Amino acid sequence: MSEPVRTFTVIYHIFTVGRQTDRLSLQIELKDITIIIMSKEARPSWDSPMQFVLACVSYAVGLGNVWRFPYLCQMHGGGGFLIPYLLMLFLEGIPLFCMELAIGQKMRLGSIGAWTAISPYLGGLGIASVVTSMYLCLYYNVINAWSFWYLFHSFQSVLPWAECPVNANRTGYLEECEVASSTQYFFYRETLNISSSIDENGGLHMGQALCLLLAWIIVYLFIVRGVKSTGMVVYFTATFPYVVLIIYLIRGVTLHGAWNGVKYMFTPKLEQLANPQTWINAATQIFFSLGLGFGSLIAFASYNHHNNNFEKQAVVVSLINSCTSVFASIVTFSIYGFKATFNYESCLERIRLLLLNTFNLSEESISAENITTWIHHLNITHPERFAAIASKIELCSLEAELDTAVEGTGLAFIVYSEAIKNMPLSQLWSVLYFVMLLLLGMGSMLGNVTAIITPLADIKLLSRSLSSESINGLVCLLCLLLGFGFTSRSGNYWFTIFNEYAATLSLLFIVFIEVISVCYIYGLRRFEKDIEDMLGHRPNWYWKVMWAVVSPLLLFSLFIFYIINYIQGGTPTYQAWDKDLGRSVVKEYPVYGQVFIALLLLSALSCVPLAALHSVFRRKPLRRHRHTETDQHKHHDNFNNNYRHYFYILRKQDSDSEVTADTQTSRACDSTRKHGMNHEDRAESLMVPICTASVKLPVSPWNYGMSVRYDPGVESSGVSRLAPGLHPPPLPPAARRQYRLQA
Amino acid sequence: MLAGVLLLIFLPPLVAKDLCKDSQDGFKVRLSIKTALGDEAYEWNESEMFLFRSTLAYAMRKQSNQDTYNITNILVCNDTQRVSFVFVVTSPNDPDQLIPKEQVERAVRQNKHRINNAFLLSDMTLEFMGIPPTLATPITYDTEPWLIVFGVVIGAVAVGIVALLMSTVSRKRRAKEKAAGLSEVDEGIVKENGTTLSSLGRKEGVYNQAFSNDDRFTEL
Repeated sequence: MSEPVRTFTVIYHIFTVGRQTDRLSLQIELKDITIIIMSKEARPSWDSPMQFVLACVSYAVGLGNVWRFPYLCQMHGGGGFLIPYLLMLFLEGIPLFCMELAIGQKMRLGSIGAWTAISPYLGGLGIASVVTSMYLCLYYNVINAWSFWYLFHSFQSVLPWAECPVNANRTGYLEECEVASSTQYFFYRETLNISSSIDENGGLHMGQALCLLLAWIIVYLFIVRGVKSTGMVVYFTATFPYVVLIIYLIRGVTLHGAWNGVKYMFTPKLEQLANPQTWINAATQIFFSLGLGFGSLIAFASYNHHNNNFEKQAVVVSLINSCTSVFASIVTFSIYGFKATFNYESCLERIRLLLLNTFNLSEESISAENITTWIHHLNITHPERFAAIASKIELCSLEAELDTAVEGTGLAFIVYSEAIKNMPLSQLWSVLYFVMLLLLGMGSMLGNVTAIITPLADIKLLSRSLSSESINGLVCLLCLLLGFGFTSRSGNYWFTIFNEYAATLSLLFIVFIEVISVCYIYGLRRFEKDIEDMLGHRPNWYWKVMWAVVSPLLLFSLFIFYIINYIQGGTPTYQAWDKDLGRSVVKEYPVYGQVFIALLLLSALSCVPLAALHSVFRRKPLRRHRHTETDQHKHHDNFNNNYRHYFYILRKQDSDSEVTADTQTSRACDSTRKHGMNHEDRAESLMVPICTASVKLPVSPWNYGMSVRYDPGVESSGVSRLAPGLHPPPLPPAARRQYRLQA
Repeated sequence: MLAGVLLLIFLPPLVAKDLCKDSQDGFKVRLSIKTALGDEAYEWNESEMFLFRSTLAYAMRKQSNQDTYNITNILVCNDTQRVSFVFVVTSPNDPDQLIPKEQVERAVRQNKHRINNAFLLSDMTLEFMGIPPTLATPITYDTEPWLIVFGVVIGAVAVGIVALLMSTVSRKRRAKEKAAGLSEVDEGIVKENGTTLSSLGRKEGVYNQAFSNDDRFTEL
């Protein structure tokens, strides 16, 4: 006779009071089946805190450490620049970095969701961050494309930028290459095929377009699985540049004349400290070098465990970033010294030959040391012949060579490649150098693209209709298509517009509003409590003073300074390459260029007020809720997002009951404040999630026992053994509860 | 008589010197031996000059296909310490007639490589003023080497992406199949008498005393 089958509903409550749980599980034993209900974190997370630290290092340590900091060091008094730099690091760098990590880790959402959670009127801040990140992604990958171009061209027996190409009838070199230098020619003509002004567009440079395609495909490969793939990649992108830098350091200081450069850099010219520009540049360098305001740090931190010690990590990453800047500038200055000495000695050699040829003296008579005495001597003895060549006598000066400070792409692609071509085994050094540039650039791109895809993934509408791989692919494809504009003949001029305007003023504004809103709109006390919840201790006075007072003041003054600079600077100008003169000339931007610059700035800045207005007009009246604190944190929805619930029904070996399972994920998680005694018998009060789920089981008409087991840190309020239709039992009285807090 | 004989003896070189000094068809040559060879530099002496004149005669022979050029046809003057001098080429048929400049230039350009090598010098260090050096032809490749490296890298990256996407697709397909069927054995959880939790979690579970005595048996 067949046994009747009945279904009944088991309703249970799982809630955790543990500190660090990424899974909750509950096991229900019946007579011949066991039900395991497991809830796991749904949001992906880093495999280990080390991955997170390396991701932040890889993001923060970028091209700016290599090409901007040495320039600033040189302009503002060498070793003396370290004083304002380190001061600004402690005044604004570390506090702001820590604040962004705290926000991300607390809210567990990308920048848009995080700022909406802080205040519903501040969603525009997140949107501004995403817009700025988008602009940055567009133009930053073009630099990686150039690095690829140079890298691939290093695999030749003679580096293509070492020699000028010969002209048509092989009597000499191409004229443009003669007036400029071979490295400049290679960069401006062969790499960019640059036109003479921003108005002249040309076609796309196919080689550049291919390299940009490759760069975006590699970026997609790195971020396709979100933090899982990013976490693997950062082990390499964060550490290998240091290997190359160390190799370069050893090579650099053993070059002839390198010591001149290093000495020049470290001799402090303390009078530069009186120049206010020095302090402003130090503040902006720290600010931009750490990559604040893009939302990347919030995105990275949102994948952390709730109790990750971000405070220590923030200090570590910021210090690593600054030390890398100093380290890279030692390498850069030894290369500078080598290049300057090489040019100086070539200059002397040219004068020596000139004198020898004009006066037909034997080769051994003039040497590098006694050139000046000879010049003097010849001036006196043969005044007319000397006067004829007097215009060609250059003044060779090592200081003048060392003083030529270059920054930006000019430093990375022209000055460095010029130095490399003169080293022995130049192909090897070239490959190493451009691989390092690539890794630094790619590491920063990871953070930039993550800043865009994390808020997008948080938007429920998108993540339900498309898989995360498709969303990531679409973002990369869009950026690639728009980025092709930078590979046209006038592309470098548009690149310069983006480089100078897209992510400068807007970032200062964004981070200023961030600090103000965290300290004064969200409330410093609430923020402190959140940090205590995460770390276990409150932030000390240093953090509070910096967040509340010092950093906002600094940011505000920087912002005002930038605006004054823009206004006072008149029409914005750019450097256009003149191929007849062989150097850059200054030109003004045309009207549409200036309009574009204004649009760039406004599009990011206006997001904040526009979104605030939008939410003012769309806001429905607040519904009163029992838990007044929870409804201010819309993030209790996080627990919905955070946990996926799985049901496992296992049939015991000797039974023959029919079991079907109905796996479903929980839909109702709420949070409430729980009070009780912890394992040290002290009263404690924490916010905990409560989730309910149900499973249907058939049961045969025999008696069955039920016992409940739970994972440490999980308390279950009980399982119901209900007939269908009954409601869940109320929570058991406090006395019968026992729960344990994990350390 | 003696004067006449002396004049006869010294006239040709004097005439020759005039030919060399005044002519428009001469070329100035400059050698920078110390710059090129450093410690291994040789001394510039009469023998070296002899070699130079003979190489030029050789160049003229090759260019004009006449075997009549001899070393006496190359006249040299204005020797300096720098090691620079002027030379002219006289026609083998008539010692008073000079070979025009263009022809000499052509001869030198065609054979510059041989002349350089005779002296272990290069175009930079053995200069003929007014004759631009013929630079080496640029190497032309069938496929540019950078394209080859690019092709390798993009191929590897494409393979990586395809592999990743395939593994994602197959993972999703497996998950769908699992959800459809009975979940008897899931992900390696062993069927045991109530000890499954320990294989999931890291610690043993604890009986919650509060609930285990409540209504053990259900009414049906």
